[in-house]
Amino acid sequence: MPETFLEIQDLKTHFPVERGIIFRRRTGTVRAVDGVTLSLKQGEILGLVGESGCGKTTLGRTILQLIPPTEGTVILAGKNLAQLRGEKLRKARANFQMIFQDPYASLNPRMTIFDALAEAIRCHKRVPRRELPGRVSELMKKVGLSPRFLKKYPHEFSGGQRQRIAIARALAVEPKLIIADEPVSALDVSIQAQIINLLAGLSRDMHLTMVFISHDLSVVRHISDRIAVMYLGKIVEIGSALRVFERPLHPYTKALVSAVPIPDPMREKQRQRIILTGDPPSPINPPGGCPFHPRCPYAIADCALIVPQLESFDREQQASCIRMREINPA
Amino acid sequence: MQDTLANQAPNDIQFSEAEVGTSLWRDAWHRLQKNKMAVASAVIIAALSLVSAFAPWIAPYSYEEQNLELRAVSPRPGHWLGTDALGRDQLTRLLYGGRVSLMVGIVATGVALLIGVTYGAVSGFFGGKTDIVMMRTVDIIYALPFTIFVILLMVFFGRDIRLLFVAIGAVEWLTMARIVRGQVQSLKKQEFIEAARALGLPRWRIIFLHMIPNILGPIIVYATLTVPSVMLLEAFLSFLGLGVQPPMSSWGLMIKDGADRMEECPWLLVAPGVTLAATLFCLNFLGDGLRDALDVRASKD
Amino acid sequence: MPLLTVNNLRTYFHTRNGVVRAADDVSFEIEQGETLGIVGESGSGKSVTCYSLMGLVPQPPGKIESGSAIFDGKTDLLKCSMNELNHIRGKRIAMVFQDPMTSLNPYMRIEDQLIEPLLIHGICGRAEAVKRGLHALEEVGVPDAAKRIRSYPHEFSGGMRQRVMIAMALITKPELLIADEPTTAVDVTVQAQILELIKKMQNELGMAVIWVTHDLGVVAGFCRRTLVMYAGRIVESAPTEQLFHRTKHPYTRALQQSIPALQPKGTELYTIPGAPPDLSKRIDGCAFAPRCEFAREKCGKPPIELKTVEPGHATACVRVQSNEISL
Repeated sequence: MPETFLEIQDLKTHFPVERGIIFRRRTGTVRAVDGVTLSLKQGEILGLVGESGCGKTTLGRTILQLIPPTEGTVILAGKNLAQLRGEKLRKARANFQMIFQDPYASLNPRMTIFDALAEAIRCHKRVPRRELPGRVSELMKKVGLSPRFLKKYPHEFSGGQRQRIAIARALAVEPKLIIADEPVSALDVSIQAQIINLLAGLSRDMHLTMVFISHDLSVVRHISDRIAVMYLGKIVEIGSALRVFERPLHPYTKALVSAVPIPDPMREKQRQRIILTGDPPSPINPPGGCPFHPRCPYAIADCALIVPQLESFDREQQASCIRMREINPA
Repeated sequence: MQDTLANQAPNDIQFSEAEVGTSLWRDAWHRLQKNKMAVASAVIIAALSLVSAFAPWIAPYSYEEQNLELRAVSPRPGHWLGTDALGRDQLTRLLYGGRVSLMVGIVATGVALLIGVTYGAVSGFFGGKTDIVMMRTVDIIYALPFTIFVILLMVFFGRDIRLLFVAIGAVEWLTMARIVRGQVQSLKKQEFIEAARALGLPRWRIIFLHMIPNILGPIIVYATLTVPSVMLLEAFLSFLGLGVQPPMSSWGLMIKDGADRMEECPWLLVAPGVTLAATLFCLNFLGDGLRDALDVRASKD
Repeated sequence: MPLLTVNNLRTYFHTRNGVVRAADDVSFEIEQGETLGIVGESGSGKSVTCYSLMGLVPQPPGKIESGSAIFDGKTDLLKCSMNELNHIRGKRIAMVFQDPMTSLNPYMRIEDQLIEPLLIHGICGRAEAVKRGLHALEEVGVPDAAKRIRSYPHEFSGGMRQRVMIAMALITKPELLIADEPTTAVDVTVQAQILELIKKMQNELGMAVIWVTHDLGVVAGFCRRTLVMYAGRIVESAPTEQLFHRTKHPYTRALQQSIPALQPKGTELYTIPGAPPDLSKRIDGCAFAPRCEFAREKCGKPPIELKTVEPGHATACVRVQSNEISL
């Protein structure tokens, strides 16, 4: 039975908001990630969804220590990443990698593919020079690219191909955890399918643990084992992918799922849409009590006073709503 | 390149047979070559530089040789550009003057580049308080009046041409630092820099292999445009009597002499004036051409 | 009589690398009050088509080589004078763009930008325009409209800015709204709000809408008829329901098969082999043939034209047209 591979406890990332030129005063805090607790098993794919301002991107970068956490622990295979510094942190990076959103910006335009991948391969390991062409070719084949192109530059590839190169680079250091931050959002629909297949296949074959961040619920539902929904820096619902999609518990998840357009005219005509009022809020001034209550169609007076915690609804789903059982009759 | 997956040539290709890509530098070089103005300018500058460099071997006379019989004569065979008030051959002085002016231009720019790039890169990369302190220092130095500063330098340390390099370099590096800092700051936000951090690459590698190559473009352009600015500065200083001292000649000094005697001996002004102007024009066109060629726009699909 | 009839629109871009045939022989119609969707991936020509109609294609390097776009049976948008076009643009035909962050002038207050269309088309005086502007802002659901109308764009979020754009577009009560991927850059809940909003305004104004998008889901819920574009050409045109449930072009089918939303969870998604063609090279025959699983020799031979195979349903696939295959 695979045990917990990645354990995140009460992770918080707060950014101070400062005013003033000479004497800078702190006037507020952006609570980008506000107390996230998660655990993943090895080989699991967790989908992380939410809208702008929810903190999913910041959470991804905080887990990888690209942004230092304000509080909390991130334990990967027994080691607390949040406590690592300097050279120890740099070396530890071989264990966890990121795939970025924009394939046009995530590769150095002045390095050939070979140089970029070779650099990654040698970053944490001593590899003799003569072995490099072979290793690089292997990597490229793994992501479905012909090694014939390894002396080419990023601008000579299409978006989908560049994303493959970025994936190859991440795999070069042999990580155990990959955080994919909107890896297909910048690609055309038909290319998205290729990359989704690739990531799913790699994760399976290499037994990788993955956090798949996306705003596109359908993509996340397709590839993830479990889905976590974020709102204003907190996780409001987490459960198996199918369940969260088909039977969302939290009012926000319900609204989110109902807002996703279904490419099927018959079903679109029949569905009931929950339309929220107002905009996704800003994380500088979160409302008191439940962060969602100002927009929630089910809100009652208590919702403004009590901060809900994640509670289990059943073995497969958890949500943070005090009215969870009322609004979801079994 | 269209194919990705299945429909392709066999995969086990030796490294040496891999298709070579076209780097952005090569793209830029091609674009530059197509720009006729820039190419012509480059050729002219190269020619002028060569001729000036070989001045001691080409020049018909020595630059201080005075022929008191032929003082201030107009152009004629033997003295193709005439002579000045002390009978020194203008053509010779023009060639030697070119050495000085061009050298000042290149060396001072080089100094400015070295200091400016390092300063700006450090300030931009580290950010925060370091950046604030470093940039405010630049602001303060900027506010100092340059001419007075040079005069002070000259007064205290004597009139040495090397001091000229220092003085000019000490002023030009400021703008270079600002430009480099700006470039580094915007580059820091690029995802490939973040990716380099995420990989666990050491900081020096990130700065030298990832950042610097990507800011070389604007640096080259700016350097090319700094040279004419520096040359003009030297001419200005020499004109004021603060720069190059006779009997050495520079174009600036020759222009000063020429301007003093503009009515009687116009040829003394025309030759150095036209040469300096031509050089400045060419450098500017080359700089513009480089900027167009190195414009990253072409790297997008 | 159709509100807009586009015939044989060809917009080519003359670039350093050749002539890019961005829109190649595009023809379609839209009736009054109808909602037409144009679906395609990047490079399909869907945006260029709309820009051509509105006279927004930079010429050079673009050039409208041929074609006509007859609006309201009278004016050819592609051939009329700038003066005539300006009387129609912004007044009778309005456009909403994709990126709310850059579509508004950051130096002008919302109010000034909002009432601008009314003022420049001489529809009413300033006092009246301000009243209408406020009403329009309230209609699109901007909370606290009276206070916020004097704000600047940077004080609004992306979703709010898009609403302002829509208010601006609709303030002159146009007969046709062209929306070029207006919800691509906003969150999905905001997208749902905007879709509801446009539906509501459409009902009130009886306005026709051309909705350009790459998202088949949006089209499914919103458009009565849909065109599918590929490599600058229309490959299929049908009532939306038929397009989804009884598609008649391999590209449309391939698109549907590669969308996760339509596939059982975890299955390997269908991927269209190859890549979209280089539009600067001449394409003989069907542009999709190199990637099509049904392609045969005849697919490489011109002419490839859109033909109606069922009432209201047209396809450009020659094999479907001659009943050789059915999808």
